[in-house]
Amino acid sequence: MSRQAARTGDPRKVNGELFTLTYGALVAQLMKDYENDDEVNKQLEKMGYNIGVRIIEDFLARANSGRCNDFRDVADVISKVAFKMYLGITPVVSNWSPAGDEFSLLLENNPLTDFVELPEGHDSLNYSNILCGVLKGALEMIQMDVDVKFVQDHLKGDNITEVRLKFIKRLEDAVPVGED
Amino acid sequence: MASIGKQKASNLDKSLSKGKPEVNVATFALLFSEIVQYCQNRVYTVPELQSKLAEMGQHVGTHLLDVLFVREKGFKREIKLLSMLIFIKSNFWKTVYGREAEKLEQANDDERTYYIIEKEPLVNRFISVPKDKGSLNCAAFTAGMLEAVLNGANFPAKVTVHWHKGTCFMIKFDESVIARDKMIDSR
Amino acid sequence: MTVYDFYLFDRNGNCLYYAEWNRRKQPGISKDEEFKLMYGMIFSIKSFINRISPKDVQDGFLNFRTSKYKLHFYETPSGLKLVMNTDLNVGNVRDVLQHVFSSLYVEHVVKNPLTELGETITSELFRSKMDEYVRGLPFFAPKAS
Repeated sequence: MSRQAARTGDPRKVNGELFTLTYGALVAQLMKDYENDDEVNKQLEKMGYNIGVRIIEDFLARANSGRCNDFRDVADVISKVAFKMYLGITPVVSNWSPAGDEFSLLLENNPLTDFVELPEGHDSLNYSNILCGVLKGALEMIQMDVDVKFVQDHLKGDNITEVRLKFIKRLEDAVPVGED
Repeated sequence: MASIGKQKASNLDKSLSKGKPEVNVATFALLFSEIVQYCQNRVYTVPELQSKLAEMGQHVGTHLLDVLFVREKGFKREIKLLSMLIFIKSNFWKTVYGREAEKLEQANDDERTYYIIEKEPLVNRFISVPKDKGSLNCAAFTAGMLEAVLNGANFPAKVTVHWHKGTCFMIKFDESVIARDKMIDSR
Repeated sequence: MTVYDFYLFDRNGNCLYYAEWNRRKQPGISKDEEFKLMYGMIFSIKSFINRISPKDVQDGFLNFRTSKYKLHFYETPSGLKLVMNTDLNVGNVRDVLQHVFSSLYVEHVVKNPLTELGETITSELFRSKMDEYVRGLPFFAPKAS
């Protein structure tokens, strides 16, 4: 009774609900394993970091975006190319600091949180904290030390979800042993 | 779950989207990869790892079930075993993986057992299993999803994953399902 | 024309992968020693080239040749370094190295949950894809030996 399977769909894309729910399963598992919001946040960030250092390689292999000249370029590429490519959304870049070393990504729709309602008593859980890790990991691989954190979260009753990125310093290439 | 007394614009107030928002396969693959590694660090053996993955798959499956029936079937449920299996093979697979499952077969010697066979399921596409973990099949995650969907639709079954012509999901239904199906047939 | 060998280094100088095809002569030192020398030289040439350049550097270090072989180099913005040695008749292999990075390394190493980045690549899949790809290159034509 095996029928010829109809082949449809783009093999480079995955159903968004599968993705959202899989992430949900992960967060639920972490909450079971750690029972402490701060620990869960940390674990999510760590996992995000691991994803970041990998996803940047995929990004470099595919995106063909040229070198960024300054942090503004970086912000643009993150929102218009990277988020678009990996999550299908384009966050708004705003709230630049006067020195141009800090900006916010405003997420109107966060694909990680469809279907999600934070349970009572988890006010310090940053459900989407994995994103901070991803951004940090990815930027570190291209020699940028950046601080990333959530300042507003739709899930916590804020009007919008806001991720803040602050440039700290440029990282230098590792020098092999015996050189200087 | 819902918090009362606090002004929150809840996701639950939004209606279920009809469309299928999609994300890049790499995003999913890397997330799944982290899940596998996380689970791996907390268990000692391959069967333990697989059951941990299945557990998480079940979590996904339970939530997906409602979405599926509401959207694909207009709130109706399947009651016949065969139509449920076909629902899995076509609707479920299409929604989740963008295409139908490759093969659905019944075991020759057991009316309770069915196989869904996929040469290369999505979750295994990027995984090269090291020799010392030869039997590991991360599609245990998908098996968990299947099991939750079947159980949730009131077709109690055990779903396990095996390496056979690619990846084979073995669905073993509970006696009661077969008995019920025969009863419906005889009416 | 042919390919002799291939090295892949991560940004910290660890050799993640090495393979050879028609390399007839071994250097007589341990592989670890060889990797260290190779990375050290690449690193120095790179910084030398950037420092000595009379204009802003565009592509930087691409390749060099001796009377016996040609060494090709490609570095990703994430600091991954790919090195391929070929004979003298092989032209520019930048796209080949780019393909190794984007279609082999990223697909089979980066996306493989069972590999740890920064450690020697043990994936059989990567090894076989890499071998297949190099053997299929138009300039890979080993003399019958």
